[in-house]
Amino acid sequence: MSWAAHDLEPYAIQAHHSKLKVAFVPLLLGSYAPDLMTKWYVYGIHLGPWDLKADNAAQFHRGWPGLGFTHSFLYGAVIGLIFWKGLGSKNWGISFMIGQWAHALTDAGDTVGTMLFFPWTHHFSVGAWAYAGQTGRLTDAAAYFSGLGGMWDLVWIVIGLYSWQVLTRSYFETHVFTADAFWPKVNRFVPMTALLVAYRAAFFYGTSRWIAWTVWAHVIHHFPYDLSWGGPHWVPAEHS
Amino acid sequence: MIYRPSHRQLAVAGGYAAAGALYVLIGVTYVDFLFSFFTALAYLLIVAWLVPAAVRRII
Repeated sequence: MSWAAHDLEPYAIQAHHSKLKVAFVPLLLGSYAPDLMTKWYVYGIHLGPWDLKADNAAQFHRGWPGLGFTHSFLYGAVIGLIFWKGLGSKNWGISFMIGQWAHALTDAGDTVGTMLFFPWTHHFSVGAWAYAGQTGRLTDAAAYFSGLGGMWDLVWIVIGLYSWQVLTRSYFETHVFTADAFWPKVNRFVPMTALLVAYRAAFFYGTSRWIAWTVWAHVIHHFPYDLSWGGPHWVPAEHS
Repeated sequence: MIYRPSHRQLAVAGGYAAAGALYVLIGVTYVDFLFSFFTALAYLLIVAWLVPAAVRRII
């Protein structure tokens, strides 16, 4: 799985607004969507006396039977179609689909991969970094930010900083605010400055948590870096 | 064409960098703080919008 990449990819896509007419909110929603339904059960939660956790995290998260279809092109297309035909916004539908497809493609970078062409259940996996969701969120974080996954996130941070203009007030007011009726509707109740801060929030979150997890894993806890293919190999990785 | 950020844009970026430094400090101390986008959104709205707006109103 990927961490900060899903926060940052929408800004890189937004930078190509002249070619891709996208709405930022559904783009971000699509980028988060595959994990919204799955991550809590992959890592497990305490609910009163109950501990809810998937017996086989990778199977539940990426497989079939399981909710692996959330990481397929079909899922993005179906939800996008619901936005388009059901809610009447073609822009929201296409933007959601682009964001969700970006997520599905990025997660194909790990050792489990994604069923991109579900209902074909073949897993497409580049195998560049270890899938370690089954180890719990802290070990998963330590492993992810010790391997090529963390470096992949860094690439998106650099691309985002290179595209810094998409984060400016003038860009937001000219290209983001005007591209989607969502923003003017919210602007009736919330001032423009707050909307601008909200627009920048995912970039802030992705970049800041990348730094924080890196510091946590390597300065505070001294987990070893292992940038070899499929690493880090000190964590038991799941494979498809 | 290469665009350079204005002084005002650099000042804004500096403010976000300071907010990010505090977020990182809180996050490495209490890692639960790092897990939710909505926590980060709320934090950023407080430090980058509400607090500056309150300060401007006071002074």
